[in-house]
Amino acid sequence: MPDHAAAPPAGAYRARRLGRLNLEVRQSIGRVKHAAFIAFGLGIGLAISVAILMAAGVEAANIFEEFVVLTFFDRLGLSSVLIECSPLILVGLSAAVAFRVNFWNIGIEGQFFWGAIGATVIAIFDVGPPATRIGLMLILAMVGGFLWIAPPAILKIRLGVNEVISTLLLNYVAYLFVLNQIYGAWQDTRDRFPHSEAFDAAERLPLLGWEKVHLGLVISLAAVALVWWLMQRSRFGVYMRFVGANPHMALAAGIPVAMTIFLAVGLSGALSGAAGFVMGAAQEHRLTGTMAAGYGFSGIMIAFLARNNPVAVLVVAFMIGGLYAAGQSVKVFYSLPQALVSLIQAIVVMCVAASDFLVRYRVHWLRGAAR
Amino acid sequence: MTAALEMSDVSKEFDGNRALDGAWFRAGYGRVHALLGENGAGKSSLMNVVCGLYAPDAGRIAVDGAPVAVTGPAHARALGIGMVHQHFKLVRPFTVAENVAMANPLGGRWTDELARVAETIERHCGELGFELDPGARIDSISVAERQRVEIVKVLMSGARILILDEPTAVLTDDEADRLLGVVRGLAGRGAAVVLITHKLREVRDFADRVTIMRAGRTVADEDPKTLSDRRMTELMVGSAPRSAVAARSGGGKIRLDIRDLGAARDDGLAALAGITFAVQEGEIYGVAGVGGNGQTELAEVLMGVRPATGGSVALDGADRTAAHPGERRRGGLGTIPADRYLHGLTADLSVAENFALAGLAAGRYGRWWVASGRMRGDTEAAIAAFEIQGGGPATRSRLLSGGNAQKLVLARELSGGAGILVAHSPTRGLDLRACAAVQSQLLEARDRGAAVLLISEDLDEVLDLSDRVGVLNRGRIVGEFARPADRHAVGRLMVGHA
Repeated sequence: MPDHAAAPPAGAYRARRLGRLNLEVRQSIGRVKHAAFIAFGLGIGLAISVAILMAAGVEAANIFEEFVVLTFFDRLGLSSVLIECSPLILVGLSAAVAFRVNFWNIGIEGQFFWGAIGATVIAIFDVGPPATRIGLMLILAMVGGFLWIAPPAILKIRLGVNEVISTLLLNYVAYLFVLNQIYGAWQDTRDRFPHSEAFDAAERLPLLGWEKVHLGLVISLAAVALVWWLMQRSRFGVYMRFVGANPHMALAAGIPVAMTIFLAVGLSGALSGAAGFVMGAAQEHRLTGTMAAGYGFSGIMIAFLARNNPVAVLVVAFMIGGLYAAGQSVKVFYSLPQALVSLIQAIVVMCVAASDFLVRYRVHWLRGAAR
Repeated sequence: MTAALEMSDVSKEFDGNRALDGAWFRAGYGRVHALLGENGAGKSSLMNVVCGLYAPDAGRIAVDGAPVAVTGPAHARALGIGMVHQHFKLVRPFTVAENVAMANPLGGRWTDELARVAETIERHCGELGFELDPGARIDSISVAERQRVEIVKVLMSGARILILDEPTAVLTDDEADRLLGVVRGLAGRGAAVVLITHKLREVRDFADRVTIMRAGRTVADEDPKTLSDRRMTELMVGSAPRSAVAARSGGGKIRLDIRDLGAARDDGLAALAGITFAVQEGEIYGVAGVGGNGQTELAEVLMGVRPATGGSVALDGADRTAAHPGERRRGGLGTIPADRYLHGLTADLSVAENFALAGLAAGRYGRWWVASGRMRGDTEAAIAAFEIQGGGPATRSRLLSGGNAQKLVLARELSGGAGILVAHSPTRGLDLRACAAVQSQLLEARDRGAAVLLISEDLDEVLDLSDRVGVLNRGRIVGEFARPADRHAVGRLMVGHA
């Protein structure tokens, strides 16, 4: 029986050498390592952002002051973060639910608008007694968001129509319908501005009694709990994971694949609609043409950074809310352009996204003996 | 004589699992070297090191006697090393010539280049004695033809050391013999051929030398003529595997009734035309046939993932021709699909989730709050009962070796107490021990009273296990045999033009 001594001698091999990159697909990765790579990406993103702000004339000490101390450790700052993050949580959950079943919902803003339209209909036509009005507004908002995503969902499931195109284009349809209403039938008769008339007191979300933080935060937190339960603890959540990861196997294993996709996507639409309701009933207090701007992109970004995990959506939405709130004040005090705030967001997102590379591959450096 | 390829002391670890543990290997020009071992013994890992796909943690490699450190596939190619992988690396909507040209650009104008590539392909095919249409699209040709494309690709790159990773796993007996004949021809023309396999017959009939691996180590390097089958098996698995089979006749009650069934292929052409047969309780009905005669479509129609174009399927007397797979399962159907990672398992989800899915869908773990503790417990019990190695309930099923993945599928399909089992190529690509385990599970299911439909392209398996055999040829059942089926008669119907 030959042993190692009898094996032929040949060129020495060492795994790690500088000079040339060698990549290997990782079979699995530990939680701690995974988190460390994401933190690494986040750190680089923040470092670049700090460098950009410093180049734009903000002093290093002030950056920390503005983005951390005055945002998260100041009563007024924290309250505005909480207000900013309520709709962000809802759109983040909306994207996460749809993405989990591999449905790329790019139409969050359209569903957001239809949520706002649903709430507005109840509010301006004074449907029902004032005590139930806010509840009716929420329900009709969710129905509106659901109805707006149902056609693309059915087209996708039945005919294989690409949902990226259909949901994206329906955003414009929703937006133009809102313009049609606010320049037309629903235009505010008092000031003739292109928005609906203001909601009455009974049609606004009540404040919680801490600065201007309103009930929307509670609704968002309840949605996080609901979606967490649905995705992580219920049978439907297991179905969603299988349908998203391998629909062929899911079908063969007897899962109602089409229904799972439809319900998950419908929930996504309803959550976007609820975000439109929160925006309308707590922040704008009316239907406006600009209220949904940016929420589609933010929702996708939050879900991506949170890896479609509902609890992580809460954390990420809170951070993004902080970035928005800090961005507002930096903009005012240092007269920086809005584009700079968007730039910082984009850099942080890209750096975290890039860290995925280290999660998926093991990097080896080898001596370049190839050529 | 300088060896074409020498490897020594090669070790490689994946996240704590030792895939290679001081393995060594050598091959010389003009010979066929079999690399024999069970699934997970490290055969493919060792050859992936040669090809530069894996960087070894330790070890030495020499090509033509000169030490090298292979830095990547391009470097391996420059060294004259070419590998035909188990999973073909071809681009589907493109033609044979385009695929070959992409791997071996000849330069010059694209249209002109394609014509020259086509010429070269035809020359190689002529020399090797097989047919290949350079203008055919990859998605329109058979698996055997795709494999030929891969071989031509590697030959055109000037490879003198040729590695074939389980090339016969996807082929029928006939195609396999032809391929192995080609392999011998390549060695005859001076190439060093490495044949990764776990079939003793191939080693015996076609190899000049055999290297046997077990658990990441090289345990033997011998002339196959000096080793008995028994000795080879012992070296491979450590101990002789169990052998199965006791005959039995059905109980009479029909559990799976297929009448006049028709189905279409993906491209719309008819795959099944008027198939009629019935499987009784307590029997294994084997469907024999050369691959590509409707086996996949038959299995998929029965699973409920492909619509029938005519006829009917009844499970325990209830018509389920158009039923959702979930409804079929509630009707007592269990399925073991041929493609484990397409229809059998979801690679990125855990062993526990994959195992418990069927029970979950049946409502066993609750609807509103999934009893994950009970799921884990049941999975652990199944892992023990079905001897699934290489991971616990939380392991992603992608990390399981082929045999263990198949045992996981079996564990799920059998633990629901399925009364009707459809198994399509259940032992394809499995090593001897896993193969025996799967087959004995099928026999146990039969002995419990289940009706088992075994669709397999491995004739020995069909003949060994089946109580009755139907022969599938061009989408029809062209003959039925009771045990003991006459091997030659079955074979004639399989290849005859019915």
